[in-house]
Amino acid sequence: MSEKKTFLALFADIDPAVNALDQLREHGVSDEDMNVISGIPLTDHILGRPKIWSNVPRIGLGGAVAGLLFGFFLAAGITYLYPLKIGSQGLFNGAPSVVLFFEMGMLGLLASTFIGVFLDSAFPSYRPKEYIDEISDGKIAILFSVPENKEAEVKDALDHLGAESVTPAEKRSL
Amino acid sequence: MVATAEPLERAHPVDAEDPREHLMLDPRPRGEMNGMVMEAMHTSTWKFWVLASFLGIVVVTCLIISWGYLIAEGLGVAGVNKPAFWGIFLVNTVYWIGISHAGTFVSALLRVMKAEFRRPFTRAAELLTTFGLIQAGISIFMHLGRVWLSYWLFPYPNERTIWPNFHSPLGWDFLAINTYLMASTMYLFLPLIPDLAMARDRSKGWRKVFYRILSLGFRGTEGEWRHLRTAMTIFAWAIIPVMFSVHTIVAWDFAAATRPGWSSTVFGPYFVVGALQSGIAAVGMVVVLIRATMKNMKYFIRPEHLDALGKLMLVVSMTWGYFFFQDYMVNWYGGDKFTKMLLEFHEKGPMGWMWFAMLIFNVVIPFATLWSKKIRRNPALLFTIGLLINAGMWFERYIIIPTSLTINRMPFTWKVYVPRIEILLSLGTLALFILIYMIASRLIPLVPVWEVQEGQVAHGLRKVGKATVKTVSDIE
Amino acid sequence: MNKPGWIGQIEVGNPFNEASLYKWGMVIDQDLCTGCQACVTACAMENNTSFVGEADAGYGRTMHWLHIERFWDGVYPNVKLTSYQPLLCQHCERAPCEPVCPVFASVHSLSQKTNLQVYNRCVGTRYCANNCPYQVREFNWRDYAPPEPLPNMFHPDVTVRRRGVMEKCTFCLQRLLQAEDKASAEGRVLADGEVITACAQACPTGAIVFGRLDDPESQVSHLRTDGRAAVLLEELGTLPSITYLKGGSSYGRNR
Repeated sequence: MSEKKTFLALFADIDPAVNALDQLREHGVSDEDMNVISGIPLTDHILGRPKIWSNVPRIGLGGAVAGLLFGFFLAAGITYLYPLKIGSQGLFNGAPSVVLFFEMGMLGLLASTFIGVFLDSAFPSYRPKEYIDEISDGKIAILFSVPENKEAEVKDALDHLGAESVTPAEKRSL
Repeated sequence: MVATAEPLERAHPVDAEDPREHLMLDPRPRGEMNGMVMEAMHTSTWKFWVLASFLGIVVVTCLIISWGYLIAEGLGVAGVNKPAFWGIFLVNTVYWIGISHAGTFVSALLRVMKAEFRRPFTRAAELLTTFGLIQAGISIFMHLGRVWLSYWLFPYPNERTIWPNFHSPLGWDFLAINTYLMASTMYLFLPLIPDLAMARDRSKGWRKVFYRILSLGFRGTEGEWRHLRTAMTIFAWAIIPVMFSVHTIVAWDFAAATRPGWSSTVFGPYFVVGALQSGIAAVGMVVVLIRATMKNMKYFIRPEHLDALGKLMLVVSMTWGYFFFQDYMVNWYGGDKFTKMLLEFHEKGPMGWMWFAMLIFNVVIPFATLWSKKIRRNPALLFTIGLLINAGMWFERYIIIPTSLTINRMPFTWKVYVPRIEILLSLGTLALFILIYMIASRLIPLVPVWEVQEGQVAHGLRKVGKATVKTVSDIE
Repeated sequence: MNKPGWIGQIEVGNPFNEASLYKWGMVIDQDLCTGCQACVTACAMENNTSFVGEADAGYGRTMHWLHIERFWDGVYPNVKLTSYQPLLCQHCERAPCEPVCPVFASVHSLSQKTNLQVYNRCVGTRYCANNCPYQVREFNWRDYAPPEPLPNMFHPDVTVRRRGVMEKCTFCLQRLLQAEDKASAEGRVLADGEVITACAQACPTGAIVFGRLDDPESQVSHLRTDGRAAVLLEELGTLPSITYLKGGSSYGRNR
């Protein structure tokens, strides 16, 4: 099995890029060996790619539950840790507690969603990565790995589809 | 006799508007748009620096030095007294929290409603939120008697084993405002990451280091976009109830009290609508200023956006008028004698001019002007109307807080509130707000270019019958 | 009420025991009040009240924990004076000032059944003052340090408040605690009239009567059931511990 080499193919439009993905599949490149890097979000429906798993909603939900528990602590826990008599209300009150549950639940949800993005995308990471500056100028790049023997025909096929460039991908610091 | 049929005059000539008037139908290459936004960040005339220096001086004298004097001397140098224990500091706090609702409204509510006109100014509005909340926090610290002990409001285990009282509306305030500040900062940052990556790719020197660190190594891979957009969807939906709850809780600071005129059950939604009114007017003002003062912004912010904001301002003004009248009418009709005396004091007391100005600025002027497309699309007029609405809303909070506190159930204590150092400190916070906004406009890309391009990709033209209409596809 | 079983085991000063003895209250007879302000002076002396100066006093920043309110009907020369109303903290059983303090500086004492203001804890949000329907809470707007040798007059058992904290009538808590401690050390209950507040002590006509509301034989308990008795702002349901005996023209005396 010859070594796999990584390439970055640059396209200007969505349709040629999607066709290129099909072409790559025909040449035996598996979906795991492909990655699409783009300047605007392109959903897996548009690209025809397998659905990407995201942990962010789960992490958010976990955070919401943690927030609710913290809200419960603020509403009831601290009241019983040091009870202080307030003339017109009982020690634990229902209506104010709803406010606390809501606020802390929301804070938990949002903070953990934010952290979830960092965790899932492995942010921040300043290691060298494969990237071309033109991607943020709206180009669509396909990062793929092919065995060396297929290199030429794949390059050819992509050029026919209108790739602006097909270059070996180098890891560079962003 | 056969009447010759005259050709029907076409009431609406087709293609009356050039579709390219719309930002979404006037796409330019992304590289060009990126360049425009970067150029706007890097171009600062001498006028910018003069204004920034002036604001810096105002901040140092009217905010930092004056606040230091306030802390050293005590609240006696302010105008608060018995019975007006709360004065302009609280007015400013409520006002800035109101302004902060604008950002969330534009970037979250409009995103959820898929209102495409929001795209170029979501970030400008979100900056209003974060910076407005900072001013609100400053104002609330200013009004504390012993501000150096304000950390006692934070729940932490201590050797006295005592905790804050979270059954107090001020305790909810503390939690809600902090939640909202953190949430809106995170929500500002998430869609900013791809634009910071773009800025990183186009910068050199210290700017490149700055953007490189802040963009966290974002490239735009499918995974990164998926996580980012999932998070943005969760944020957009979740931050809307947070936004409503924050100003409702601020309203409950007043409504939960026993004062006549304050313990009104409609205060929650009334304050939220008031916040939206001053906030959207502030977005209108900021958008006009950005368009007028920053390079290339005339491409991104077009009369159609001013038009949409003007319509929003009119609708919210109607809603505010409804809630105001709801509160007034019920108090006037069935209120106890002190509430009725309070209403009379509002209109006929020494601050009566403020009450009338509030109604004119908040209701009469928007009703009289914003129905007209021409007026809405005129930047100078929209800015003026927005400014007047903001003034009207500030007056409304002034009437609710110090003016309403003057009339209570013990007539022997009635005293009019006269602001003193609060005026300087208010100017200081306003100057700080404008200054940090100006600095931010030169440090971060003010227009979310990736969202604009995303919208442009989704928009198209289609012929329906004889008309050429705009279409939006749901590519999300 | 007098509980003989409690003698020798008097539960005094336990903040967590709602059943502890003593519920302090006051009755003010507006018919007897002449408006002489002796109570105001006595309170200021007893509790180290600051003197704020003319400018601040005119602006509604006097620090009087107890003040005399005077009202009148009519226009000069046909002025009719109504009763004087000494107004002080009503020590409400359901005090509106207590739930709104974000740091628990305004709490209810379980052992004296009075409303407490904890100076050390107050951060000065002034929400309690806004929520007091009687407007009897005062705020330290500045540090009002009197010139020497006036600090020698300060009562040693009472703190001197610094700027930024709320203060209000405490029913002379320092006197109550001293008396309660003395009584419990001697193994007995406090008798009626054994401890009274500074204002009650100074009043020349005996208009202010202070004592135990939980003792049905005390003078305050008897006066509370008088036909002229009323509480201020009863419709708010704050259940004040101070009862006013209505005076003035409606009861035969025309001034």
